[in-house]
Amino acid sequence: MTIQEEEYSIIEECRRGASEVYAVLVERYQEMIYNVAYRMIGDSEAARDIAQESFIAAYTALRDFRYGSKFSTWLCSIVMNRCRDYLRSQKQMLPLDDISELVEKGPNPEVILSDKQSARDLQSALRALPEDYRQVIVLKHFEGLDYREMEAILGVSANALKVKTYRAREWLKKYIEKGSGQDG
Amino acid sequence: MDKDLLQLHRLIDGGLSPEDEKDIMQKIEADPRLQREFDGLVSAIDLLKTGERLPVDAAFSSEVMKKLPARKEPLGRRISGFLFGERVLRWNIASFAAVSAVLLLVVVSGLFYQSSGKSSRVADNVSQGSAVKTVALSFHAPEAKAVSLAGDFNKWSVEAGAMKRNSNGTWTIEVPLKPGVYHYMFVVDGEGWVSDPRAESYRDDGFGNKNAILRIDSI
Repeated sequence: MTIQEEEYSIIEECRRGASEVYAVLVERYQEMIYNVAYRMIGDSEAARDIAQESFIAAYTALRDFRYGSKFSTWLCSIVMNRCRDYLRSQKQMLPLDDISELVEKGPNPEVILSDKQSARDLQSALRALPEDYRQVIVLKHFEGLDYREMEAILGVSANALKVKTYRAREWLKKYIEKGSGQDG
Repeated sequence: MDKDLLQLHRLIDGGLSPEDEKDIMQKIEADPRLQREFDGLVSAIDLLKTGERLPVDAAFSSEVMKKLPARKEPLGRRISGFLFGERVLRWNIASFAAVSAVLLLVVVSGLFYQSSGKSSRVADNVSQGSAVKTVALSFHAPEAKAVSLAGDFNKWSVEAGAMKRNSNGTWTIEVPLKPGVYHYMFVVDGEGWVSDPRAESYRDDGFGNKNAILRIDSI
């Protein structure tokens, strides 16, 4: 039995009311979903809540799951939607100056040059990335998905996603260069 | 984005043939501008690689499981549980007398209704109430080569519900369904998932589309 077949049989059991087997799927994908949420929103506590809510939302909507697709892909699209909603709600609360400052100034040069490996540095770069660029970077470079899988999650064609990923990398490159330039 | 720059990104994605890879590597060595672009992109990717995966705490899974909404057991299982589940009955004279009186009342009233010819109609209603209904669905797509009906009643199979095309470009299908609420979509040419524009209501499907809702009432 393949992993996909096993997951289909778990989903079928859950649909029949045996909710306890859902724990297998939660444990299998909790780290992935939590990390996707964390990279998208940059707040570990909120990411934990969003990840848990995504599992519960997926369980509630199990009857809508389409056999033939991967459970992880479906779950990922749910967590991405929730992250988008969260970011939208936060954007309304974040003063505009804060956002434009992040994009225009680039990273703190001292941070970039003294410790390129720091997680804080990475998170500040991700935070400054436009949301649609961040999505592709998280799926491509953190989760190692191919463009076809990203297409299923984001509902955008693989070719369009390639272009978006290229642009996102260019954006990151310029962001880092700005930080280095300010130092010199 | 120029062609060489595109090739740089394809190189990073590992999507180049050995010949193309060799070609772009030679160009990088020969062209300082391309060299700078490549170094910059590598720095960006290196920055991304510094991100370690955060571990999930031990309580995560159990908290999710506790928060799951209670799923109603299917009707068939509840009926069989009621009929065949083990139980202990405690009797005394008073309860025996009460049950006997109720049974007597049921038998007498049954005889009364039978003589007035109503019981058969009630029985008919009960059997029709759980009967399968044939539902006709249609979808206008004159350009499509194939359209199928996929829903939770056929496990969202793209192949199971192949629809027939009429001369005017409308695709139709008849499906036998028991009373209940069903979710469905039309699948155009095997890959385009489209909501039924004539559905009575919709629900988000988690893929960015909306499932159509079909409600079959008991008679």
